[in-house]
Amino acid sequence: MKFSPSLFEVRSLTYTVRGNEILKSVNMTVLKGEYCAIIGPNGGGKTTLIRLLMGLEKPTSGTIRLFGVDQQKFKAWHKIGYVPQRSALVDASFPATVREVVAMGRYALRGMFSIESAEDKRIIEESMEQMGVSDLRDRLIGHLSGGQRQRVMIARALASHPEVLIVDEPNTGVDVESQHRFYELLRSLHMTRGISVLFITHDIGVIAEDISKLFFVNQTLLVSQAPQEMVGCESISRLYGNPSHVLTHNH
Amino acid sequence: MIEMFSYPFMQRAFAAGLIIAVLAAISGSFIVLRRYSLLSETLAHVSLVGVSIGLLVGSNPLWMAIVASLIASWMIEYLRSVHHLYSDSILAIFLSGSLALAIIIVSIAGSFNASLFSYLFGSILSVTNEDLVIMAIAGTVGMALLLLFFKELYFIAFDEEVARASGIRVAALNFMLVSVIAVIIALSIRVVGTLLIGALMVIPPVAAIRFGMGFFKTMLLSIALALTSVVIGLTASFFFSLPSGAAIVLCLLLFFIAALVINLP
Repeated sequence: MKFSPSLFEVRSLTYTVRGNEILKSVNMTVLKGEYCAIIGPNGGGKTTLIRLLMGLEKPTSGTIRLFGVDQQKFKAWHKIGYVPQRSALVDASFPATVREVVAMGRYALRGMFSIESAEDKRIIEESMEQMGVSDLRDRLIGHLSGGQRQRVMIARALASHPEVLIVDEPNTGVDVESQHRFYELLRSLHMTRGISVLFITHDIGVIAEDISKLFFVNQTLLVSQAPQEMVGCESISRLYGNPSHVLTHNH
Repeated sequence: MIEMFSYPFMQRAFAAGLIIAVLAAISGSFIVLRRYSLLSETLAHVSLVGVSIGLLVGSNPLWMAIVASLIASWMIEYLRSVHHLYSDSILAIFLSGSLALAIIIVSIAGSFNASLFSYLFGSILSVTNEDLVIMAIAGTVGMALLLLFFKELYFIAFDEEVARASGIRVAALNFMLVSVIAVIIALSIRVVGTLLIGALMVIPPVAAIRFGMGFFKTMLLSIALALTSVVIGLTASFFFSLPSGAAIVLCLLLFFIAALVINLP
C-alpha cells in the first residue's frame, strides 16, 4: 500500500473566544494527494478552522501539525496556497495589476532587496497561463469580474508552487456559471499538477462524488468521510438541523 | 529664478524639501492604501509635542520631535494590533491629546512666537545645517528600510491576512513602517510644518491612484507629484514670502483637482 504523508494533522483542537466555544475537540487529517471539502452551516466555524490551520488564530488547546511539523516550528508556508473568503472582493481603485498580484505569490520565497529572477518571471507567467488570466495581466485587479479575480488569486497562490491549496468559500460574490468553472479548475489542478486541495463551502450542492474526504463542521467536527458513505444523509441533517440531501455532481 | 539658489538658506530648503518629498510619497502610498491616512496627521501633531519640549528645554526641536513621534507611533501600533482598538479612534485620541499637551508646554515655555509659527506651517528660512545633516542620515535609513521591505509592505497593504499566512512577518513590518513614517514626519516639520505634512504624504498617492495604473507606476507618479509640488511651493515661498508648507500643499491640491478632472468617471 502506498504511504501518503499527512499535510494537516489536527488533534483535540478547541478554540474559545471570551468563553464562547467556536470549535470543540476537532480531530482531522488531510493526506497528501487528497481532494477534500469542509462543509457546514454559516457560523459553524469552518473559516475559523482554516484560520487556525494557517496560524492566523491561536488555538485555546490542542495541536496542529503541518507537513509533519509542529505548527509553531513550521516555516515552509509557501507550500500552502491560501485563498481567503473575501479575496474576490477588492477595492475597485486599488493600484494593483493582475501581474503584480500574481507576483506576490513569489514574495515570501525571494530574499530582501531582491529583484525578480528569470525563474520568478517564468513561474509568474506559468501561473497566469494556467489560470487563463495572462490576457488580463495589465488590468487593475479591482476592474475584473468576481470570477476573474478569483482565478487571479489562485494564480497568486500557485506562484509559490504550493503542495496544497486551501480555498475558503470560493462562491462568494461569483455567479453560478463561474462557480462551476471554478470547481472544474480546482479539480483539474488536482488531477494535472497533483496539488492537494481543501476547500470550504456552505453549499452542499457543489460536492463532487469523487471527493476524497468531506469534513462536516458545526462547532465540532461531526463527521469525516467520503460522500458515497453518507447513506441517508443523517450527518447532513444533524449538521444543518433539518432534513437535507446531498446533491452530488461530477465535474 | 536661478538667483534664489545663490542663497544658502534656499539651497538647504531645497535639499531638505526634495528628501522629504520622496520619502513622504513612498511611505504615504502605503498608509493611503491601508486606509490609515490620518496616521500622518496624528504623528505630525505629536511631533509638535517634541518641538514644544525642545523650545522649553532649549535643545534642537527636530531631535525632540523624532523621539516624541517614534514613541507615539509605537504606542498607536501597539494599541491597534494588540488591544484591537479601532484605528481611527486611537488616532483621534492621540491627535487631540498631543495637541493639548503641546499647547500646555508651549504656554509654560512662553514661546508662542514666530519660531513656533514656522514649525506649524513650515519656513524656508528655518532649515539649519544641523537639520540637513539629521535629515540626510535619518532619511537615508528610512529610505533603505522602505526599499528593503518594499515588496512585503506592498503585499501587506494589498492583503494583510494572506501576507501573514505566507510567512511574512507582518507585525514586525507594521512597527517598522510606522517608525519610519514617524521619523519622516518629524523631519518634515522644518519645511512643511506640523499642520501640513499630512497633505504631502496623502495627496500625491491619492492623486496618482486616480490614473488607474499598477502600483509601481502609481508610486513613481506620486513621487513626481510630490517633488514638483515641493519645487513650485518653495519657489513661490521665496518670491512671494509665503509660508513654504502652505504653498506646497496648495500646489498639491491643484494637482489633485487636475487628477480628478482628467479622470472623471
